[in-house]
Amino acid sequence: MEYVVETKKLTKKFGIEYAVADLDLKIPKGEIYGFLGPNGAGKTTTIRLLLGLMRQNTGTIKIFNKDLNSTRLEILKKVGSLVENPSYYGHLTARENLETLRKIHGAPKQRIDDVLDIVRLSDVGNKKVKGFSLGMKQRLGIAASLLNNPELLILDEPTNGLDPSGIIEIRNLIKRLPSEYGMTVLISSHLLSEIDQIATSVGVISKGKMIFQDSIEEMRMLSQQKISLKLDDNEKAWRFLSSKGVKVEPENDCLALVEQSDQEIAHVIRMLVENNFSIYRVEEEKRSLEDTFLQMTMEEKAV
Amino acid sequence: MVSLLRSEWYKLRKSKIVYILLVGPVVGLIIGIFTNIDMLPLEMNQWVGTLMMMNLTYALLFLPLITGVLAGMICKYEHDAGGWKQLLALPVTRGKVFVAKYFLLMLLILAIQVFYLVSLLGIGFAKGFTDTFPIEVVWKSILGGWVATLPLASLQLWMSMMFKSFAASFSVNVIFTLPTIVIVNSERFGPYYPWAQPFSMMYLSGDTNDIFFVPWDHLLTVVGGSFIAFFVAGFIYFQRKAV
Repeated sequence: MEYVVETKKLTKKFGIEYAVADLDLKIPKGEIYGFLGPNGAGKTTTIRLLLGLMRQNTGTIKIFNKDLNSTRLEILKKVGSLVENPSYYGHLTARENLETLRKIHGAPKQRIDDVLDIVRLSDVGNKKVKGFSLGMKQRLGIAASLLNNPELLILDEPTNGLDPSGIIEIRNLIKRLPSEYGMTVLISSHLLSEIDQIATSVGVISKGKMIFQDSIEEMRMLSQQKISLKLDDNEKAWRFLSSKGVKVEPENDCLALVEQSDQEIAHVIRMLVENNFSIYRVEEEKRSLEDTFLQMTMEEKAV
Repeated sequence: MVSLLRSEWYKLRKSKIVYILLVGPVVGLIIGIFTNIDMLPLEMNQWVGTLMMMNLTYALLFLPLITGVLAGMICKYEHDAGGWKQLLALPVTRGKVFVAKYFLLMLLILAIQVFYLVSLLGIGFAKGFTDTFPIEVVWKSILGGWVATLPLASLQLWMSMMFKSFAASFSVNVIFTLPTIVIVNSERFGPYYPWAQPFSMMYLSGDTNDIFFVPWDHLLTVVGGSFIAFFVAGFIYFQRKAV
């Protein structure tokens, strides 16, 4: 697979604390990569390292198959970014803000109108950014990141401060980017639902370490379902089912069946009925992706 | 580099920089207007006498203060709302950003010096000075003052990049500017104090054999040396600054 971003054993320390530790980040071309982790997990630090805003202590970063430290300028020409809180010059209008960046990129003037239109800020383009709401500043930041028509777009928490309709709008915009413009997108968030709806690949970071990295489908597979049974005599039923070779675990005041097909569940219930157990409840408990994510980050803490 | 400079100029142009540029020259103008040339020794050229009076306040106090304010201004809008990280994530090197900011700062100071010269000319014509215009003395003073701010401005730019707060860098600058009045009289420390250099080099003395109003070797060693020291230190600081 062709990777647009590839880091090897990326490590950044602040004092004695590891903000990022031995991180192997791999972003395949044309994907929307969801970079997920709780607050303070090291997402923004990683992104700053990717943009060369900070130097790593050890490890290497390759973007477009080139080493970041030796070919930074060439790489950054093809990268658009929005890091943490939106950056802006308050004394300038939205259009003027973009103009300061356009002069450096050397993009055509028309591009300013285009990106303002994309994020729907055209009608406030000539207003001072000082008076913008957080959501509008965020949109301006996204417009700025698109200015140079980047091949790699890095967005750090891009839906921060947006209202629900704004979130949907930006989400739809980001979804279009890979197919329409051939962009690869890195989008970070601490909200799994956000990533779930948009990303095609996922990396989960906790305490500076990558604890999961694969396609979103793989991650969904992890959120397996289980069936819980409540009977008149759980203890006896557990012994009975175990003797029949059924994988079952006692759980509070019920029994939990893990990874069973519909037929197998029917079979278990029939056995229980035929052996005169009274079944009070049969419930399906679906572990949401959210739980999976929580559990992943919790496990990391327990270690 | 050119595109970076144009971008920097664009950001600056839209701020209220013009008023700040005019502060020093206007102060000079006011002092010049109220200078009674009849009080000056008779043998003294009217232009030189007025300029000397103007320099006292302007070069000693206002020029070093204003250069500090300007250095603070060109960094303030970067500090305010994440400008640094946006700027440095663009395809630019930090070295070029530093040089562009410094170049712009020196250009602004040159503009101030020119406005100051205009103030002097205005006063002269308004009061109808009859003495010949001492062109050599005046250009030495104006240009010398500018050269003397080379080290000071790099020190101030360095400080402004370091302090996130505009008030902090301004306060530090005020604290170091005020003692200049005393230090400039010290034979030992005067020549080496960065905030005193503009006054020393704008000060009109009879000896015009040297290029400016200070000896050549002093210019090269003290002004040149401290310029290199502060510029390199600021440059290295900016290279390593985490944004």
